Amino acid sequence: MASTLDFRTHVDQSCRYSEEFVNIYYDCMDKKRRNLTRLYLDKATLVWNGNAVSGQDALGEFFEALPSSEFQVQTLDCQPVHEQATQGQTTLLVVTGGTVKFEGNKPRFFNQNFLLTAQASPNNDQPVWKIASDCFRFQDWNS
Amino acid sequence: MADGGHYYNEHDDRTAPQQYRNRKGRGGNKGQSYDRSRRDRRGGHPGGPGPRSRLDDVDGDVTMSDNSQDSSSQNRYNPYVIRPFRKGDRRFDRRQGKGANRGGGGNNFRGGDRGGGSSGVGKNRSGWYKVTIPHGRKYDKKWILSAIQNICSVTFTPVQFHVDHNRAHFYVDDSAAANALHKCSHKITDTDGYKVEVHVNPSNPPSFLLADLKPEHLEHLKQCMAKRFDGSQQALDLNNIRTDPDLVSQNIEVILNRKSNMEAVIKIIQENIPELSSLNLSNNRIHKLDELTELVTKVPHLKTLNLSHNELKSDRELDKVKGLKLVELWLNRNPLCDFFKDQAAYISAVRQRFPRLLKLDGHDLPPPIGFDVETPTTIPPCKGSCFGSDEIKALILRFLQQYYSIYDSGDRQPLLDAYHDGASLSLTTPYSTQNPSRSSLGEYYKDTRNLKRIKDSTMRFRLLKHTRLNVVAFLNELPKTQHDIASFTVDVNTYTNTLLSFTVSGVFKEVVVDGKSRESTMAFSRVFITVPAGGSGLCIVNDQLFIRMATTEEIRRAFVAPAPTPSSSPVPTLTAQQQEMLTAFSVESGMNLEWSQKCLQDNEWDFNTAAQVFTQLKTEGKIPDVAFIK
Repeated sequence: MASTLDFRTHVDQSCRYSEEFVNIYYDCMDKKRRNLTRLYLDKATLVWNGNAVSGQDALGEFFEALPSSEFQVQTLDCQPVHEQATQGQTTLLVVTGGTVKFEGNKPRFFNQNFLLTAQASPNNDQPVWKIASDCFRFQDWNS
Repeated sequence: MADGGHYYNEHDDRTAPQQYRNRKGRGGNKGQSYDRSRRDRRGGHPGGPGPRSRLDDVDGDVTMSDNSQDSSSQNRYNPYVIRPFRKGDRRFDRRQGKGANRGGGGNNFRGGDRGGGSSGVGKNRSGWYKVTIPHGRKYDKKWILSAIQNICSVTFTPVQFHVDHNRAHFYVDDSAAANALHKCSHKITDTDGYKVEVHVNPSNPPSFLLADLKPEHLEHLKQCMAKRFDGSQQALDLNNIRTDPDLVSQNIEVILNRKSNMEAVIKIIQENIPELSSLNLSNNRIHKLDELTELVTKVPHLKTLNLSHNELKSDRELDKVKGLKLVELWLNRNPLCDFFKDQAAYISAVRQRFPRLLKLDGHDLPPPIGFDVETPTTIPPCKGSCFGSDEIKALILRFLQQYYSIYDSGDRQPLLDAYHDGASLSLTTPYSTQNPSRSSLGEYYKDTRNLKRIKDSTMRFRLLKHTRLNVVAFLNELPKTQHDIASFTVDVNTYTNTLLSFTVSGVFKEVVVDGKSRESTMAFSRVFITVPAGGSGLCIVNDQLFIRMATTEEIRRAFVAPAPTPSSSPVPTLTAQQQEMLTAFSVESGMNLEWSQKCLQDNEWDFNTAAQVFTQLKTEGKIPDVAFIK
């Protein structure tokens, strides 16, 4: 009975969270790269155009080596991830698309998707969203 | 400066006819005859500025271009001379013993079949004739062509009309027309009162017709490149590649001043050894660097480039590769070297393109002094699928095979089995106001859930398909499709006991039903979140599908590979016994399947002999690292 309503609430909230996330994430990426890894879980994995990077330290190194960027997000979609997949841990799938210009490179189209999980924060009463996985690809990467 | 320079040999019209594959269907229907079967396979993309445009251009109106590629080199009197083997150049060669018999690729000698026909225009096997109008530059193309056509007894179709220096050239592929054109000389008087000369000579086919390498040739080329690759130095030696005995013995011509050949080489590098640091392209008659521009992004770690003993005529060619972070460059024995008044001007011109260069033609340069604000501009090379493990790879590939065989079957109802009761699905397409082809995405556009544009929460909710029945009902309404599974790239995002999430991207086309929609190729990127189901199966709980129009490059590559899986391993056409032997050999040798198979095949599937040969070659360090990349 109430499950449909609950789902509706979930969906509304997930939309709000994903909009907020995208603003923060790409702002960090473009302007405050140093802070970027704080958005990731300790054991988060990134697959960047087929290159797998795992763990905060490796992610930090990876992002530091990446040229400075200007992202423009043109599409955004999100879904609450089914609880059976996450053992009850609140999780969102966020999918973005747009263009990115890395310094010294041509602008490219990209697709990116994230799994965000709600985590208890050690220095805050409220839980925080952390990126559990991140998958990035240029759309025309192999042409 | 260099472009204006003259070379005495450069535009000599004494062509050396070579035998090329005879074209079929010459004559009558000219417009079609340029189509080769390979290109036909791509089929139906009428009108689009697709990959055929270069040919279309020629079919319709003849291109009026000064720089029609390769034309100058193809027509230069430049028979395949045996060049002396220059040991000093072969800096990257680890196989001195073998090198000695290179350069003597006697098989390459062809032609010499310029017959002395009585008609005045020789016969040649290529079937092509080059028509030259000295001082043709001063005429309007339309005027001169119609003036000749008016007095020519045979209707001709001029192909690849172009001007170089003062001359105008075009090609015809019809000996009757060639003979008739020959008789047109000195018959037309131009506005200045001069008689127009028309010279006709047998020639090679125009450059744009030179065939691409065939898929089986590419495989030989790839193996030849693997042989010439030194994994420990990340160095690839393509010096004088066209005389490589392995290619010559297969009758494969790899001529690096042909666009398609150079592109093939670069593609192989990009796909197999993107970390390449040293590339030797000496002695390949390269006169343009256009194709090498790709290296800047595709092979970002390239530090050493050897272009010596080529035909580069202007230092401006270097602008095309100036994004490379070269430390060492070889340009000696190129015409461009002679255009500088002194060594300092030469170094300066080169350093302008490659500020970090430390070595030019083997000489040390004073190290550059920079500022300590180095910012990275290289991005990691793009790679193929990222599965994480073979076990997951098998699981996902099996799932995708099953899923898309139903998805493409015309009835998507059985997909009910693939989705969880509480599954969600949504779809996004890129929004673009100026995209004229948006209509092709029209079917999807109305269902697109882009939170950047749709702000109404009811609408947002409605566009998210929720529960299994809604999801499959929605999928059933989408256009009928055919996916190119060989094009798929899969990235595994997360793998836990309860969840397997992966991203699939690739191309598909819409299947024309009742001739209603036009066949259009599209690209997609799709995230599946799945939970384990019944043993080794997967059950989808979340599904997000992004669809866009395919790029021309994607369309060109789509549906050409026969491989049924996105796996790089060879498609088994082996007997069960061979398959077994292959697996065992791969395990014992540590080589991947492709190389194991080659080793076994080369030794007639005698396991022991193959093992001995392998051991010996390995001890001698002759097996490249790529053989061990699984």
